[in-house]
Amino acid sequence: MQGPLIDTLARQGVSRRTFLKYCATLASMMALPPAAGLAMAEAMAAARRPSVIWLPFQECTGCTESITRSHSPTLEGMIFDMISLDYQETLMAAAGHQAEEALHAAMKANHGKYLLIVDGSIPLGQDGAYSCIGGRSNLEILKEAAQGAAAIIAVGTCAAYGGIPKARPNPTGAVSVSDIVKDKPIVNIPGCPPVPVVMTGVLAHYLTFGSLPDLDDKGRPRAFFGETIHDRCYRRPFYDQGKFAKTFDDKGARRGWCLFELGCKGPVTHNACATAKWNGGTSWPVESGHGCLGCSEPDFWDAGDFYKALSMPAHPPTSVVAAPVAGATAGAAAGFANRAKKNAARKARQPITVADLEK
Amino acid sequence: MTLDVIPIHVVPRHAGAALPGEPGLSGNAPPLLRELAEQVRHLLETGEPSAIDLSALPLTPADLDWLREKLGSGEIAVTLQANGESTLDETACAGVWWVTHRNEQGAVASQFIEVAFVPELVKAHPADVAIGRERLEFMVSENH
Repeated sequence: MQGPLIDTLARQGVSRRTFLKYCATLASMMALPPAAGLAMAEAMAAARRPSVIWLPFQECTGCTESITRSHSPTLEGMIFDMISLDYQETLMAAAGHQAEEALHAAMKANHGKYLLIVDGSIPLGQDGAYSCIGGRSNLEILKEAAQGAAAIIAVGTCAAYGGIPKARPNPTGAVSVSDIVKDKPIVNIPGCPPVPVVMTGVLAHYLTFGSLPDLDDKGRPRAFFGETIHDRCYRRPFYDQGKFAKTFDDKGARRGWCLFELGCKGPVTHNACATAKWNGGTSWPVESGHGCLGCSEPDFWDAGDFYKALSMPAHPPTSVVAAPVAGATAGAAAGFANRAKKNAARKARQPITVADLEK
Repeated sequence: MTLDVIPIHVVPRHAGAALPGEPGLSGNAPPLLRELAEQVRHLLETGEPSAIDLSALPLTPADLDWLREKLGSGEIAVTLQANGESTLDETACAGVWWVTHRNEQGAVASQFIEVAFVPELVKAHPADVAIGRERLEFMVSENH
């Protein structure tokens, strides 16, 4: 293990063992085989600092809170130091014209090479007047910044898919980054907010391999979003045994049984909460007794009641040795059925009120 | 409101009483013993280490306790202080190590069962040994 990153870390008093331990944990969270930890450590030790520009649009700063506060101060924080964060409104000391100058200086100096991180959706209504920085609309700023970017990382469900601002009736005409930018590689890191280590993990992947990670059909890195919450849930065995909590205070809930019937969206939600957990690895929604809301999926706010169980498959798979072609057809049929159900759910959707939550 | 109003009661588990089929046990832990036996065979035949990533498997906390108890404790327990405490404990089966990485807040960050003669993390890196040698040589020169 030799190179610029490990040397910088060594100067900060971070030992090789600390780094190796970090990489082992990171590999585990990225669902890589245990042996990959060592390979990652070797490659990442030699990484160089890329310039990063972070633009906040129509957002709540929850994503920034997540990446900075919940895991600090840990090695993730130091890895974050290992990039050159040239513009981040919440974290930077500069303000006003100074800040805008810093942005333009960074964009000019690293044209074609910087990583652009975006959090928040982009409002198109009223010519973008709903969200402006320095008198310019988010749309205008995004288009300008995207031009010189090597790649764009859309952080949070708002930037990735429009998120809560885009939820019906979408008063500001909010759209996602990929709705506007079509000619640059875009990595979506959804979540409301995203798991901190997933954000730093994608940066780590960029540092490690010098490229962007493999993406799924929704533009998410497969390493973190390849499996559903349900597949990696420690309560999954109870689902398989048919043991469900029926209310939030029954025997099943006390015994930690599956929360499927209480509306858990784990089976249709791709995210890393079950393995990466939250608040420095303390716990995560299902572990604290509440089902998954599905916040890392497009349109999660409009996808039906948070407390209604997902529909059961009409014809549960009976045999796992079915021919692959038949399997694919059945899968597609189930897909159509689910889409129909989702549309029905969307139509029947009632806004959740405080009274509903207290029922 | 007093505490007994809350209908949750802590039931202490007796040592050795945890068997598959009891509350909290999923039955997913026992097959891991078979996988470990295979990995130990592989280690003996080829010398190649391997590992099982416990956080990647659907295991309940009770499953982990059951597995830990089953594997027992061996002669060596290594504690590593690096960005939080890590423990690398040999189990009663030599060559099988229970590795727990904790973060600075003490929460478990990742957990593995490693099958190796010595876990990679325990070995000193040549670059660190070289720094150690420099320090020793400095101490020697200082005393002259």
